[in-house]
Amino acid sequence: MGSYLFTNVRILDGSGAPAYPGEVLVQGNRISRVGGSGTGARLMPSSGAVVIDAAGATLMPGMTEAHTHFSWNNAATLDGIQVMPPEEHTLWVAHVARKYLEHGWTSCVGAAAAKPRLDIVIRNAINSGMLPGPRYLAASQEITVLGNLGDESLPHIQYPEYNFGAVVNGPEEMRKVVRTFLKYGVDSIKVNLSGDNILPDAPANTTWITDEEVAMAVKETKMRGKRVSVHARSCESIKMALRHGAEVIYHASYADEEALDMLEAQKHRIFVAPGLSVIVKLLYEGEPYGFSPQRARELGYEDELEAASRSLTAMHRRGIRVLPGGDYGFAWAPHWTNAMDLQYFVKYCGMTPMETIVAATRFGGQIMMMGNDLGLVQEGRLADLLLVDGDPVADLSILLDQKRLLAVMKDGVFYKEPAIRSARTGSLPGWNRTAA
Amino acid sequence: MGNVLFTNVRILDGTGAQPYAGEVLVQGNRILKVGRGPRSLPTAGIDTIDAAGATLMPGMTEAHTHFSWNDQPSLGAIQKMPLEEHILWCAHIAERYLSRGFTSCVGAACAKPRLDVVTRNSINSGLIPGPRYLAASQEITVPGGLGDESPPHLPYPEFSFGAVVSGAEEMRRCVRTFMKYGVDTIKLNLSGEYIAGLSAEATPMTDAEIATAVEEVRMRGKRLAAHARSSESVKQCVRHGIELIYHASFADEEALDMLEANKDRHFVAPGLGWLVNTSYNASQWGITPEAARDMGYHRELEVAVETLRKMKRRGIRVLPGGDYGFAWMAHGTNAKDLEYFVRYLGFTPMEALLSATQLGGQIMMMGNELGMIRDGYLADLLLVDGDPLADIRILQQPQRILAVMKDGQFHKEPEIRSSRSRLSLTAA
Repeated sequence: MGSYLFTNVRILDGSGAPAYPGEVLVQGNRISRVGGSGTGARLMPSSGAVVIDAAGATLMPGMTEAHTHFSWNNAATLDGIQVMPPEEHTLWVAHVARKYLEHGWTSCVGAAAAKPRLDIVIRNAINSGMLPGPRYLAASQEITVLGNLGDESLPHIQYPEYNFGAVVNGPEEMRKVVRTFLKYGVDSIKVNLSGDNILPDAPANTTWITDEEVAMAVKETKMRGKRVSVHARSCESIKMALRHGAEVIYHASYADEEALDMLEAQKHRIFVAPGLSVIVKLLYEGEPYGFSPQRARELGYEDELEAASRSLTAMHRRGIRVLPGGDYGFAWAPHWTNAMDLQYFVKYCGMTPMETIVAATRFGGQIMMMGNDLGLVQEGRLADLLLVDGDPVADLSILLDQKRLLAVMKDGVFYKEPAIRSARTGSLPGWNRTAA
Repeated sequence: MGNVLFTNVRILDGTGAQPYAGEVLVQGNRILKVGRGPRSLPTAGIDTIDAAGATLMPGMTEAHTHFSWNDQPSLGAIQKMPLEEHILWCAHIAERYLSRGFTSCVGAACAKPRLDVVTRNSINSGLIPGPRYLAASQEITVPGGLGDESPPHLPYPEFSFGAVVSGAEEMRRCVRTFMKYGVDTIKLNLSGEYIAGLSAEATPMTDAEIATAVEEVRMRGKRLAAHARSSESVKQCVRHGIELIYHASFADEEALDMLEANKDRHFVAPGLGWLVNTSYNASQWGITPEAARDMGYHRELEVAVETLRKMKRRGIRVLPGGDYGFAWMAHGTNAKDLEYFVRYLGFTPMEALLSATQLGGQIMMMGNELGMIRDGYLADLLLVDGDPLADIRILQQPQRILAVMKDGQFHKEPEIRSSRSRLSLTAA
């Protein structure tokens, strides 16, 4: 960690303001000075700093992925997730986490882990410096009820290790499971409130968990000052989430007027991450994975996409924070292609490209519970920064192109260094990448 | 992976020959050509590294690793680490060994059943960086033997870093399970250990139990290793054909005769560092030299030194390694073993180096393509600042390991230019 002066950059600061030419000085792990310059002339003293002339590249805040599943293993089925034994799964999660950072996601909000401690262990290893990775909030497994999403057990094979979710029945079982995850040290408890169209018998518009069970989960979690996030596609599940005080609402596909009113009333404390990739991919590109367009329609994905588009567009207009992320890590939407979400937001949720950038950066800092320290290129904030070749607002697909992601800085340290000279043609693989 | 030419190097080739000035051309993952004298090999289109007289030697093999030992001051504390943290630890440590110049490692046992196989598989698939690696099972032991750490009132397997079996059929199930997981080596604890409260000269496992383990292992074409301090346990190893003999401190003349008669089959890795450091360098963790002496370690060290000198004279292969990973023996400092070989066992520096290189290739079962710098051999190479033959201790200093290459790829690249200047380009 030293001092870096980014000069000759277009600063896309995450506030929604148009990008402007200028310079950014990073000292230690924070942005110490931000200066606009009309002409690109040198504003700040550079002695003692490593100077990076970016030749007009865009400097923006690192992005936050609001709905990650590091432990999903690019399988084409839900039951493929748990085939991995815990040792391999832990190393997979470490590998996935590192590559999220490499792809510009300097913060990630875990939405659920496939095995009880996978998220926690990776978060701890990143925080202790053992592994490179994004700032990370660790989630529990998906707590669910029998027969709902997360319960993969077969009638004749009933072992909990077979499920990627934790199956509970009744408030007391919920209490025990939630207390166990809190003991392990999660940042958020995940509860599956609704079904999911990938399950023909428990589709997206079903809600089988009871108020008593949800109330218990929220009570135990709040006692320890942690957050509750929910899988809530159905209308009833959105309202249930808001009645009980969940902070992070995933999917929210079917929001009627009452649900929208309830969402708007709490817009200062809640976040919505729709995770549209599953719906879009299975509807239009699901053939190789056994989802023909007809099958996808039969499962309800076309309906859900239409409903989600209406719901999310309305939410966005009402000022509810909608963030990118989820459910990447399946074969049809593999890890690290998450920047597609920004394009889905433009296409389906009525956002402008700039608004999607704000969602990924400014709102990202807020969902990380660091809204004053993270998510904007502003003096005093933490130096999580991306250097991008080109203007993402003009072309969001740039953010998917690794060759155009010139540099990734987290906490004032380069994870991906800008290759200004080609001295190192083959970069070192390995755990302990440090800045020069 | 492309072509790399090391020029202006002193080649210490691991054959036993004295070092000579020359060049080494690496193509792909192998040494294509070793050249003597000044620039003799063509350099067009090849990354050329002028080593300014540094020593180029084969990567070293550590013959007795425990990646999953986790810097604890006691055996019982190893298993406090949960499984997820433990596999991350192993991956972290594996990279450290490679960085310190150990391009091959022979696992001597792991603390939880699959830690070694998963580490090996992940290295081989490219998921994590690490040395060439042979995966071991847990230490298979008997109730009350070394490796049985369960308190009497908590008889649960997860407390023990060993796998506790009693009788031939339990042994058979245990070995078959490890074979199913895919280990390269089955580890048996044939003798005791003073720090575990057991006499090092005790030999608690029966011939029937050992024979069953050997039978199951041979069926699948794998090898065995044994914790064999006592004389009787060394003889058990020779009688049963257990290839990797760890410690062998108390081998008597009969045991030495048996070993010598079968010296092409066995490798001995004494883990001398454990005896030295537990005896004299563990005060900070409550083991004063007096306490160590009372436990029996001073005497074992003296006897072991004598035994190993005799082994060396008889041509039995003695290799460096073990039991690094305790609080008083940090992972990565393993090159100290070469110093111990010179200081305690009368090895010349060249002999110590050969034990880590040429013999290392042999214990990795790749003696005709690993462990020496010769045309056609795999390109596992170290660039070392200085002459290890003049001072074997330089291999202990990380900053003097200038580069580590494994399979033709740099894990640690030589710093050719000052790295700071890479980021200081201005547009003008």
